[in-house]
Amino acid sequence: MLARLPAIMRTTAARLSALYLLLFTICAVVLVVYMTSLSARMLTGLTTETINEEVQGLAQAYQRGGLPLLVRTIERRARQPGANLYLIADPNGRILSGNVENLDPGVLETDGWTERPFGYQRFGEMGTERRNTGAAEPGEIATGAPPSHRAIAIVLRLPNEMIMLVGRDLGEPERFRAVVRRALMAALGMMGLGALAIWYFVGRRALKRIDSVSVASARIVEGDLTQRLPVTGAGDEFDRLSENLNAMLARIATLNEGMKQVSDNIAHDLKTPLTRLRNRAEAALAGRRKPAEYREALEATIAESEQLIRTFNAILMISRLEAGYSAESVTKVDLADAVRDVVELYEPAAEDVGVTLESGISGSFVVDGNRELIGQALSNVVDNAIKYSAGSTGGPRVTVALHHDDGEVRLVIADNGLGIPDEADRQRATERFVRLEESRTQPGSGLGLSLAKAVMRFHGGKLDLSDNNPGLSVRMTFPNAKDGG
Amino acid sequence: MYCTRTVPAAAGAYRLLPSPVEHSVDGSTKAADFAYKAAMKILLIEDDREAAEYLQKALSEAGHTAHMASDGETGFAIADSNEYDILIVDRMLPRRDGLSVIAGLRSRGNNTPVLILSALGEVDDRVTGLRAGGDDYLTKPFAFSELLARIEVLNRRAGMKEQETVYRTGDLELDRLSHSVRRAGKEITLQPREFRLLEYLMRHAGQVVTRTMLLENVWDYHFDPQTNVIDVHVSRLRGKIEKGFESPVLHTIRGAGYMLKAS
Repeated sequence: MLARLPAIMRTTAARLSALYLLLFTICAVVLVVYMTSLSARMLTGLTTETINEEVQGLAQAYQRGGLPLLVRTIERRARQPGANLYLIADPNGRILSGNVENLDPGVLETDGWTERPFGYQRFGEMGTERRNTGAAEPGEIATGAPPSHRAIAIVLRLPNEMIMLVGRDLGEPERFRAVVRRALMAALGMMGLGALAIWYFVGRRALKRIDSVSVASARIVEGDLTQRLPVTGAGDEFDRLSENLNAMLARIATLNEGMKQVSDNIAHDLKTPLTRLRNRAEAALAGRRKPAEYREALEATIAESEQLIRTFNAILMISRLEAGYSAESVTKVDLADAVRDVVELYEPAAEDVGVTLESGISGSFVVDGNRELIGQALSNVVDNAIKYSAGSTGGPRVTVALHHDDGEVRLVIADNGLGIPDEADRQRATERFVRLEESRTQPGSGLGLSLAKAVMRFHGGKLDLSDNNPGLSVRMTFPNAKDGG
Repeated sequence: MYCTRTVPAAAGAYRLLPSPVEHSVDGSTKAADFAYKAAMKILLIEDDREAAEYLQKALSEAGHTAHMASDGETGFAIADSNEYDILIVDRMLPRRDGLSVIAGLRSRGNNTPVLILSALGEVDDRVTGLRAGGDDYLTKPFAFSELLARIEVLNRRAGMKEQETVYRTGDLELDRLSHSVRRAGKEITLQPREFRLLEYLMRHAGQVVTRTMLLENVWDYHFDPQTNVIDVHVSRLRGKIEKGFESPVLHTIRGAGYMLKAS
């Protein structure tokens, strides 16, 4: 526990508890100090008021009956239980009457209010002590015995040089102050203990949870991507954090799987043409050949290499698009123009293979995009549609249509060729390097649709395939241009 | 291969290509008929030694003189103190990068046509390259025939045909103002795109024009259309301007592209 203290101190929970403890302590101290000083002042005020009233009463008695009445009044009042302090002394300080037997030296020399509380002993309380100490003579103000009470008083000089003291015991406010002080100490102690407990339990719990997350992540770092962070089901922020991290891990695992798939496919799809390339070169070198034959072999080699470079280019393009193409290249593009351009570009080639390529578009369909990328994506899809509808019975036809729908612009390229009847196959067709069995015979990298899909993602849109019965329908959905356009 | 992507600039990148002198022109035209007629003095600023030597050799076989510089600073100094017809500048160079070399030359009033070579090939890269003062942009790896066709066009771009309103090649005549085409006095009707295609071919009559150059200049696209779409357009145009006339004017140059030339 002690060894782990620094670790605990580093936890957020411990730091927060410490901070709260400090804040609470400061608040409590300020509050208590304020309260005690306020009530002490109130009690003091009450005391002086009482004394003033006493003095007034005594003054009246003195006026009515002179010194004898004053002394009588004092003696009467002094005998009452819980009485104030009364004392009459001669000018030398010798006590003549009253209920005070002993007080701190010098008190009687003051004139008016005593500057600070003084110690005293009531008459009768001295008995036991005097026997013990055997000190002061009767009537003398004892100086040696420790006064056990505290009081404040007013000291007055009577016209006949006598000294009168009227005072009030301070026991009550002093006790009050002591009680408050004890309560404060107890409260602080409790708070300290409470904070320590919270600190220990919360901090330790947090520490434990984090430790388990650390252990799980360490295993993931070691390469076990199937590991997941613990979720306790408490639904607290640790669970939420773990859930999010787990979702992230799942995404990474999917991407990783995808990457693996892609590299396998790359390896396969690039190995085949590379092998062909090598074999062709080898065959050309074997035996004596005519220059024309060498030439033919070399030309075939170049053609094969170009196809390879094309494939690499497409892979790089897709990666770049997925990594986030520069947003600077985005402007307002009218899809109607893009469609017209691409259809115009492909129309003769389509006609050459007996495919009717048509588009009936009116109006403008402005989106935020990159004309070059849109042109490339569209031409890939159109190229595909022409390739796969060519030769189909009943007048092969590719139509390109554009329409607005729900704040989106939909560009649909439909053909009436073989299509991809199977739903799962259609899903896979846009994955990188996936070339469905029947299409393996067609030239191409198998990246056309993937590239188109990457372009659509870059534009914040999507690309879906659906069955055109017969044929394939490719829908490219663009979000509308942001402002008016 | 000029498409919009990056392929590491390996020396081997250049070797995919046929040597220029081996080009044969379909029919009776020989490569030699056009390859040697405008010998150019070229400065090649390229740090990949093997690639540069290959290019130098190929350029001299095509009848041009090529000087080499292997870093940006040297290249700038040589280009600044000598007269060249064409500069071929790699974008990534040691000591001073290609774009800065071009910008530096332009700021000193040097307007020699520049072809930028780059391993980068995105649309944006092309735009920055051209903005820095380059005249054309070619992404590695490329066919040498592509490079050759482009520098020959660049060399002649400096002027002449841009202002002419009527282009003439043999008995073929194109009026840029009235948008009319005639051959041997006979009116030929062309679609707007066919007109632009012919206009570009005629502007560069006697020069090899590659498919990607056509795609860029006539369609304003810089990607690889995969299928032979350009060929089909050209053959349609050829049908219109050659059918019913005696001699061919639009020639296919194997492994390179097309050339408009009166026989």
